[in-house]
Amino acid sequence: MAKPKTDPESLLPLTPAVFHVLLALAGGERHGYAIMQEVAEHTDGQIKMGPGTLYGTVKRLLEAQLIEESDERPDPHLDDDRRRYYRLTGVGEKVVRAEARRYAEIVALARGKKLIGKPA
Amino acid sequence: MTKNFNNRALAVSQKIYGWLLRAYPPAHRAAYGPAMAQLFRDQGRDAWNESKGWSLFKLWLRVLPDLVSTSIRERLAALNERKTMNDKLASLTHDRTTPTAIFIRVFLAVFLITLIVATAITFILPESYASTARVKVESDAASVAAQPSYDPYFIQTEFEIIQSQLVLNSVIDKLKLNVAWGKKYFAGEPLTTGRTLEILKQRLQLAPVRNTKLIAITVYSDDKNEAAQIANAIAESYRDYRVSSRAKLLANGIDVLQQQYQAQAAQIQTAQSDLESLRQQLKIAGDAAASQSPQEQPYWDKKRNLSQLIMLHELLNSKIEAVKMDAQLPKNAAVQIVDRAEPGRAPVKPNKTLNIFLGAVAGGFLGLVAGAICALAAAKFGPREGKQSLPA
Repeated sequence: MAKPKTDPESLLPLTPAVFHVLLALAGGERHGYAIMQEVAEHTDGQIKMGPGTLYGTVKRLLEAQLIEESDERPDPHLDDDRRRYYRLTGVGEKVVRAEARRYAEIVALARGKKLIGKPA
Repeated sequence: MTKNFNNRALAVSQKIYGWLLRAYPPAHRAAYGPAMAQLFRDQGRDAWNESKGWSLFKLWLRVLPDLVSTSIRERLAALNERKTMNDKLASLTHDRTTPTAIFIRVFLAVFLITLIVATAITFILPESYASTARVKVESDAASVAAQPSYDPYFIQTEFEIIQSQLVLNSVIDKLKLNVAWGKKYFAGEPLTTGRTLEILKQRLQLAPVRNTKLIAITVYSDDKNEAAQIANAIAESYRDYRVSSRAKLLANGIDVLQQQYQAQAAQIQTAQSDLESLRQQLKIAGDAAASQSPQEQPYWDKKRNLSQLIMLHELLNSKIEAVKMDAQLPKNAAVQIVDRAEPGRAPVKPNKTLNIFLGAVAGGFLGLVAGAICALAAAKFGPREGKQSLPA
């Protein structure tokens, strides 16, 4: 597969759905249901992705080569082999890191303006 | 039974979702359809485990807008892809991407989706049965002792009494609804009487029967036998309340009248002894006829007053007898249950025909709007070649 010639910074800012999917995959490869569960958990249930949004996002991330499908299974005996697993590509990791940095800068800015307090 | 229903509700939902996936372009469906169906299955299972039908319903409320918006987006994306992949040539012979064609396809898709969803929701929604008991009510004033009078607020007042704690609390106690509904709806936790009363009021509907003295007491429930049982219990409790309040009223009335009667008797006795003293003082014979002598005048005045007092005393006695007769009238004279509630044969809610009709109307409207937007978008925006973007 040809490497994308994209500069990660040019893809920013990411939409919340894309960022959350990439963030979920930053913890390792996951199938669609696990991604959806992790996003819901990270956001205290505020974002519950429907199948259409999740797989629409996955499709575009695959096309942009930010994620890729994985053939490996954590444990074939414990899992349904019809599930498709996804993982971050190198570019995907760079993009999610860049977006996380961007968020961190925004948080630092807000903290500097005393809009939010320091973390406990 | 519950497990079968569980399987059936989930299976029907999955089947409908699988069918709705047709809204996506074939290529997207081929690539992601099974995974999306699998995800929906997982979400459906979680929802059912969380709180059964209600969570499944909420899942549908979340999934449907997602399905409509993402399918339209994928359709538009597929349209742009075709243009970049030299599909224009093919479209010259069979152009399925003209704004009109898109309008028709989107309209049909949205219309059918809405109609199917409305139908599915109608069949998923819990069924509700209604049972009606009818009671004939008479005003307490319409008795032997009192003159009948028209009270314009009588029926409204009785409606409020039927819905009051005076009547409904005894129904709750009699049918043990705190425990029964706690088991049924709140995982076995018994309800407080206040909470049960609130639920009971929500399920109760009262209506006057036109041009009669009848009140229809209708109760809704997902159990047809329970609906009938509650409607009958309310009618009985209301009748008992009216009988007991009427009995109390009459007993109080009789007490007051008897006190007056006794006071009058004492008055008469005093007047009789005064009269007798006066007669002896004036030396008037007991059987003497009334004379015009000024000396005897006080005696004859007192005698006349005594006669009037005795007459009033007799009238009061008649009144007491009349009120006592009232109290002995049949106990159900004030409220009579003319029709007992029977378990309904068919559910009254949801109204399947109406829901499906409204679904069709809403589908038509949404289809028109979505079709127009998609057709306009297709006409306005061309393919965006070479521009890299990530999904919204």
